[in-house]
Amino acid sequence: MTKQVLIIGGGVIGLSAAFECQRRGNQVTLLESTKCGGQASGAAAGMLAPYCEIEEDPDEFFLLCQKSLKLFPEWQKEVKKYASMDFEYNNSGSLYGIFHEADILGLETKMSWQKEFGVGARIIEGKELEKKEPGLSKDIIAALWCPEESHIYAPDYVKALETACRRLGVSIHDQLGMLKINEHNGQLTVLAPDGTAFEGDTIVIATGAWSQMWEEIFPYSFPVFPIRGQICAYNEIEPTNHIIFTSQGYLVSKGNGTLVCGASEDIAGFDTSVTEKGIERLEKWNRKVLPALHNKRPFHKWAGLRPATQDGFPLIGKLSEYPEVIFATGHYRNGILLSPITGKIVANELEGNNNPVPIERFNPERFITL
Amino acid sequence: MQKNLVIAGHELKSRLFLGTGRYPNPYIQNKAIEASETEVLTFAIRRVNLQDPHEDSILQHVGGRYFQFLPNTSGAKNAEEAIRIARLAKASGISDWIKVEISKNEKTLLPDPIETLKATEVLAKEGFVVLPYISDDPVICKKLEEAGAAAVMPGGSPIGTGLGILNPYNISLIVEELNVPVIVDAGLGSAADVTQAMELGADGVLLNTAIAKAKDPIAMAHSIKHAIQAGRLSYLAGRIPKKKYATASSPISSGI
Repeated sequence: MTKQVLIIGGGVIGLSAAFECQRRGNQVTLLESTKCGGQASGAAAGMLAPYCEIEEDPDEFFLLCQKSLKLFPEWQKEVKKYASMDFEYNNSGSLYGIFHEADILGLETKMSWQKEFGVGARIIEGKELEKKEPGLSKDIIAALWCPEESHIYAPDYVKALETACRRLGVSIHDQLGMLKINEHNGQLTVLAPDGTAFEGDTIVIATGAWSQMWEEIFPYSFPVFPIRGQICAYNEIEPTNHIIFTSQGYLVSKGNGTLVCGASEDIAGFDTSVTEKGIERLEKWNRKVLPALHNKRPFHKWAGLRPATQDGFPLIGKLSEYPEVIFATGHYRNGILLSPITGKIVANELEGNNNPVPIERFNPERFITL
Repeated sequence: MQKNLVIAGHELKSRLFLGTGRYPNPYIQNKAIEASETEVLTFAIRRVNLQDPHEDSILQHVGGRYFQFLPNTSGAKNAEEAIRIARLAKASGISDWIKVEISKNEKTLLPDPIETLKATEVLAKEGFVVLPYISDDPVICKKLEEAGAAAVMPGGSPIGTGLGILNPYNISLIVEELNVPVIVDAGLGSAADVTQAMELGADGVLLNTAIAKAKDPIAMAHSIKHAIQAGRLSYLAGRIPKKKYATASSPISSGI
């Protein structure tokens, strides 16, 4: 049965949910306060690298990330097909470089539990490491090589998603200003500041760092808040072969010839400006990883607001008292990576289908107000 | 008036030592540290940008407040490695306190007592304030004290397991036999575990995962702070002996 779906938020999560729901035969209307992909999504470095980034032991979040990584090859093909647009999707693999022998134990711990999930990572050093990534500093004594990790050019990916949605018939309304949800006689309506009202069978909340405001209408706590991530890029530099991680940040060469480096995190409310401190810190560290950056200065600097949550897990799923409301927010540093799986979960929740991974841990009602 | 904890002449108002790893994000990390009222922060030396600690991905967020840093040698597989990274940390000016942590097994991360003793001896002689992380064995704990440890940190259970104190008897023996402070480190999962450690007479606790991975790390930090206080007071107040049968709490023959 065709459902009328209202999606609030035109970031990568809202667009992915729109893309998937519309493809499955529903009629989607997407509502965006400013412009699609204008916040964290467009600012992202597009790392698809859960094996390097997750230090923890296996949990539902790891499974969610891994599933999404595995969905990406097919998913990105579909987006390109429907959008008739291309964007960079690069299966470069990644190297997690370490400077101390004492880091080997940590890599071994990670490798051993990830192996049980079929992750084909390996520690490489010496000549092999040098051959794989000749530009790396000699102070990096070894690296964890994760051949399955990839990256995507996020600004183009988001544009393609938006185009694919439009071409599939999603009705996109942007520049609406701050949206509100009103409840009248048990019926939920989304209201724009100019008075326009939108109605649907289901409302999907994909408002990223702007999600705490829904506490006003729903009787739950949604502890989602912005963490600023500052990024910079160099040009005219020999590209690296892999995504390179260290304890302090990452570097990744993009197909357009730039080298993107992140991220300096800080707490600055909704301010998306870059700071000298944030960028200088990256520059200084980057030179320790890639000596070729010695005389280089970044040509481009920017920042995005990552929607962080109180326990580090996103909020995905239906509200029990408002089964017509589906949350899909709080993806923190992993919005791009988690976009395919989140799109599919939203569509499954909409249709009452089972999900490919457990989502109980991401229950949007799990937080209580003390 | 309760006495404060003193380690190597340094007086600490809080008996909580807190790890800086595994927090979901810097905002929660800061708020949790603040709520815990800890004065001692521990972190792995290998993970830190030693040249510019104030630019480090984790330490930069705790700047602006005073903390006694307790860098640890986690990841070191033997005494030699631990000594080497301890010296790096000291040379960087971060701290001359060092938590010696030496493990070989990547699954249990249990401390290697022989290598820990070796490293403690060497580093104490070099003037470090050494706090070794060690198994809950009273004999090795005493040897560490003799080797010059400023405090000894027996584990309740393996790191990050949240299994609590697996051998309370041993912890109480360690408390009884040592003259230096005993800080129960590793494996504590909740306020109850922390209270138990303090009731056993520990001088403090060190934890990380119990707070960082809680659903609400800030609330858990508050809870741990109170648990330390509750356990410490209960220990000082002196618990009643356990008996098999009931004793009426309102005596029949009250002294009128």
